[in-house]
Amino acid sequence: MTEERSIVAFCCRECAYAAADASANARTPLPPSVRLVLLPCTGRVSPLHLVTALAEGADGVMVAGCLLGQCHYREGNFNAVDRVAFVQRLLESVSVEPERCRMFTMSAGEPPKFVAAVKEMDRVIGALPPLQRRGDPIGVGAAATRAV
Amino acid sequence: MRAGVFICECGGNISGVVEMEPLAAHARTLDGVVEVAVNQFMCGTEGRDLIAKAVEERGLDHVVIASCSPRFQGPTFERIARELKLGENAVAFANIREGCSFVHRNEPERAQEKAKLIVEAAVARVRHQSDLPRQRTFLHRSVLVVGGGIAGMAAAEELAGAGMDVHLVEREQSLGGFMARLAKTFPTEDCAMCSLAPRLTSTALDGHIHIHTLTEVDELTGPPGEFRVKLRHKPRYVSEACVGCGECVAVCPVKLPSHYDLGICAQTAISRPFANAVPSTFAVEKKGWSPCKSACAVHTSAQGYVALVAEGRFEDAYRVASEPNPFPSVCGRICTALCEVACTRGEVDDPIAIASLKRFVADTVGPTLPVEPAPVIHEEPVAIVGAGPAGLTCARDLAHLGYKVTVFEAQPVAGGMLRTGIPDYRLPHDVIQREIDQVLALGVELKLGQRAGADFTVDGLFDEGYRAVYLATGLQKSAEVELPGDDLDGVTRAVELLRELNLGGTPAVGDKIVVIGGGDVALDAARSAIRLQQQRGVEPDVTLVYRRTEVEMPANASEVDEAKEEGLQVEFLVHPLEIIGDAGGAGEGSFARVAGIKLQRCELGEPDESGRRQPIPVEGSEFELAVDTVVFAVGQALVDDFAQGCAGLTVERGQIRVDRETMMTTREGVFAGGDAAATGFYTAIEAVAAGRRGAAAIHNHLRGARLLPVWEEAWDEAHPSAEELEGVEIGQRVPMAMADGLARRADWAEISRGYSAEEAVAEAERCLDCAVCSGCDSCARVCPSGAIDWDQRETTEEITVGAVILATGHRQFDAARKIPLGYGRHANVIDQGQLSRLLSAAGPTEGELYRPSDGKVPKSVFMLQCVGSRDVTSTGNAHCSAICCLFATLNASLIRQHHPDTEVTIGYTDLRAPGKAHEEYYRLVQERGVRYVRGRVGEILEEQDASLRVRFEDTMTGRKQEELFDLVVLSAGLEGSDGTRDIARVAGVQTGAGGFIREYHPKLRPVDTQRTGMFVAGTAQGPKNIPDSIAQAKAAAARAIAMLSSGFTMTAAQVAASDPAVCIGCGVCEAACPQSAIVLTVGTDAHSVVDPNICRGCGICAAECPTGAIQLGGFSDAEVLAEATLA
Repeated sequence: MTEERSIVAFCCRECAYAAADASANARTPLPPSVRLVLLPCTGRVSPLHLVTALAEGADGVMVAGCLLGQCHYREGNFNAVDRVAFVQRLLESVSVEPERCRMFTMSAGEPPKFVAAVKEMDRVIGALPPLQRRGDPIGVGAAATRAV
Repeated sequence: MRAGVFICECGGNISGVVEMEPLAAHARTLDGVVEVAVNQFMCGTEGRDLIAKAVEERGLDHVVIASCSPRFQGPTFERIARELKLGENAVAFANIREGCSFVHRNEPERAQEKAKLIVEAAVARVRHQSDLPRQRTFLHRSVLVVGGGIAGMAAAEELAGAGMDVHLVEREQSLGGFMARLAKTFPTEDCAMCSLAPRLTSTALDGHIHIHTLTEVDELTGPPGEFRVKLRHKPRYVSEACVGCGECVAVCPVKLPSHYDLGICAQTAISRPFANAVPSTFAVEKKGWSPCKSACAVHTSAQGYVALVAEGRFEDAYRVASEPNPFPSVCGRICTALCEVACTRGEVDDPIAIASLKRFVADTVGPTLPVEPAPVIHEEPVAIVGAGPAGLTCARDLAHLGYKVTVFEAQPVAGGMLRTGIPDYRLPHDVIQREIDQVLALGVELKLGQRAGADFTVDGLFDEGYRAVYLATGLQKSAEVELPGDDLDGVTRAVELLRELNLGGTPAVGDKIVVIGGGDVALDAARSAIRLQQQRGVEPDVTLVYRRTEVEMPANASEVDEAKEEGLQVEFLVHPLEIIGDAGGAGEGSFARVAGIKLQRCELGEPDESGRRQPIPVEGSEFELAVDTVVFAVGQALVDDFAQGCAGLTVERGQIRVDRETMMTTREGVFAGGDAAATGFYTAIEAVAAGRRGAAAIHNHLRGARLLPVWEEAWDEAHPSAEELEGVEIGQRVPMAMADGLARRADWAEISRGYSAEEAVAEAERCLDCAVCSGCDSCARVCPSGAIDWDQRETTEEITVGAVILATGHRQFDAARKIPLGYGRHANVIDQGQLSRLLSAAGPTEGELYRPSDGKVPKSVFMLQCVGSRDVTSTGNAHCSAICCLFATLNASLIRQHHPDTEVTIGYTDLRAPGKAHEEYYRLVQERGVRYVRGRVGEILEEQDASLRVRFEDTMTGRKQEELFDLVVLSAGLEGSDGTRDIARVAGVQTGAGGFIREYHPKLRPVDTQRTGMFVAGTAQGPKNIPDSIAQAKAAAARAIAMLSSGFTMTAAQVAASDPAVCIGCGVCEAACPQSAIVLTVGTDAHSVVDPNICRGCGICAAECPTGAIQLGGFSDAEVLAEATLA
């Protein structure tokens, strides 16, 4: 990854990833720091994913989903909002900047909003000092690696 | 893992920014990668062949495609993987086009680094990807369509055309819905029923469509493809023999606001909503038994004869009143009338004078109808002992059943206690005799002066050839009383006193009388004593002494009031201690006489086991009354001389023992009923009921089969709602004319005059028709095909269907909620639906616009738009109801065409005409002279002549105006119907604002609901017009057909699954799932189970699961973490 910063963006397939595809098709440039991870719905994102990503090397994690009330799976993005808020409190409690974890919403018809979210995240993370990690990478628990 | 990485140049889109060779070289270094290839267009046939060759030659088990966004060509490569037998979940995607080359064109070095990272992440992910289980689900090729309006029928038509079985369920009596109520439709002004009728016919004739009307959906469970439905069919009470002639409607006496005509006119209890109703069978609205019918011991259809009296049909009323009871004139005078106690009208003002109305019809019609002897068709003669109400009723019923009946009576007259107990002023002897004669005229033989046990025995009757005996001997003597002084001269008992009086004697009573007791017999004795004194020339001096209060007195309240009018004195809470004799008369042969009575006051204590409060003597409260006659009226007892010569009979505790089910005594072939073998109160009507049961029991016994029920099956009691009662105007019972209280003591003439015909009709009109259908049976009597069937009951049916379409429609907003507009208060304020009925050529006024108050054609009509719509107050809905502007415009146009002299004004907020040809139609109607005024209405007031003063603001001029109109029509908005709310609850689908069913996604999935396999169409989903309803219905049908057509489906791969070994049974997933696809099993090893048919694959459960037991197929924690952390 660039020596700059790495941001992992968990994007829901219906709105955020669609907005990303649309803005990319329009060749809108993006900061290279952000790498997309496709999920069916932001409701799938668990604190495990967000914290582990930060622990394993990401400087920031963002969750991008549908506008509230318009989730294609009805209420997944509401769940995601709660989890992001939880992770923010968790980060604060271990003296990590809570803004390293953020949620953004947009509709598939709003590619500029996706672009703005990515740029915003990149700007904020870029302004932060490198994330302090001590000890070995935490790895992931046995249960979490169980494949279906 | 043996993974292959296939990198696409995408014709330069990728290779123009990211260099292929260095990327490929990097990929070869990754752990698990055994093959890397580059192609110009990996998604094309060349690319496909490349992959296929590599899979085969290199033994690949996983594939990474580094190309465009998986949202673009993902399905292509998944299909390739499936075809190559790798399973579609063997593919991972490295999005290096939209995710890299497109967006980092100006930073190729960083793009290169990022591309490597993206490929690395995909390789890390694919390691954890494995084949996902799919289940094959069988899909029933049948669909449940809930709602039989235009949307439901349009959907059913499509489904039937596709060869699907359709169950079309409708809660009303006929298909048709709201469209069937319309006069014409906009913008073409086609006649609504003309458009609908062919649809109704074709639906009825289609072999694929099973129509269920008057049916509710009670339960809807199971997975899509196999929904289990419980239907509840309500009875029509009319069989398919109905030919639709309508004779029944002409004779039904019950009127209620018409459901089909939206309350603008009345319908009868038996009805068919419109001429081409489907099905065409009539139906009866019957809520159960009215409270009066329930309370009556013989379950007389009291509501029935009252309804017939209200229509002046006295002969029909008599038939209904006398069918279960041969003594209507008698009971109309002396019955305890529990029907009146139960009468719902009593909750508003006074109960209906049910008994007096019965007396009226019986007195008026009874003597005029000839009685034909009943033919004897059975050879077994039956004997009845006792010619009271129980015995004679039994005799009548047996005669009707075809038996030869002989009644034996100990007294010189028939009638039992009716004759020998009740005095003439309450029940004239000739009235009783007339009704007895009508029973005898059937061919019943009466033998007077025959006492069982003395003049004949029951055993002897069997020897003579009788095959059954009914004992109805009553309680012919006074109950035993023990009181010091009870053997003095002047102490008498009421039963014996009244018998002597009623058999023509003049019982000796003194000048100062005390009567002990509180029942009807005590009152009869006391009032008779008053008359005896009066007619002897002595000022009446009778005191009634009762040990409880007036409230607890068993006697009819009216009797006590009448007695007081006649001068009776009453002492409550007093009981006798001792009868005092006169001290004198010490000479030989003279008997001591009553000189006084010692009494003691009481208080009421706690209720005993009978529930009545016990009188407790008050110490030191003794007092004396100087009297010369004491009459005991403290109960009756059995005279059991009939037990002599009746072997095997059991008499215990003063009653003949009888089996309640068969009415038979312990002696084979001997039955009993009435006071002597009571199963209820000791009243005349209970005796009549006992006689009926006895006859049925004897018939069953003699025929050797249970042909008739002995006890009538009771129906549920019906009752108007509290809301319906609120609307009833308070009045009072028509008073009964009575002879003057003091004057009437001079003779024994009947003291109540009875109702005149006018009084009876006026009183009967107060009835509230509690059960709707009154049970008068008039329809059954006139039906030429015998189609009326009272044995029909609610039935349930279970069906299994593959999909469900909810098309339950809308209701009009209840404009009464907008209080200032006067709907429901002012007669000439109606809504557009009701106006449609008036404008309908086949409607109640045949298309003439007659206003409700006086039937005149209005000269001016005001229509008010947006009633209950576009309304953010708490009494309205926020949404626009979409059709009202055009609905009003249409109705206004029809009025102008039919009544050119009538002016129509439409007060609107915005005139919305969005549909095809709607704007053009609006212009046309304006040219027809309809006046459109933009403004809100503040208030509508009613004038003396029922015309309306409308206060509104004209926003164009800014002026507040007031105008008079003859008729006001409110464009009440649309809301989800009651049926929509009900089915949403049963089906577990959400409703939103306005009570409409929530579609899955308002833009992208407008006919799906949140439950897979359930679709919605028509106004149940939201306000819309007819073409839109039809279009949506056909879309819903297409969805169902698409879902079901293959007959089976594979569950999706991207569904959640729970590992029972890891699951701790916390239930968080079950609660979190928005589809309710997860169920927690019960027991010690409780774990969650996901239904893959219902799961939509959002992953919320997997994110919530604390142990990682639930994972989402294709998006497990391992897969997601591998990609996110490059692990």
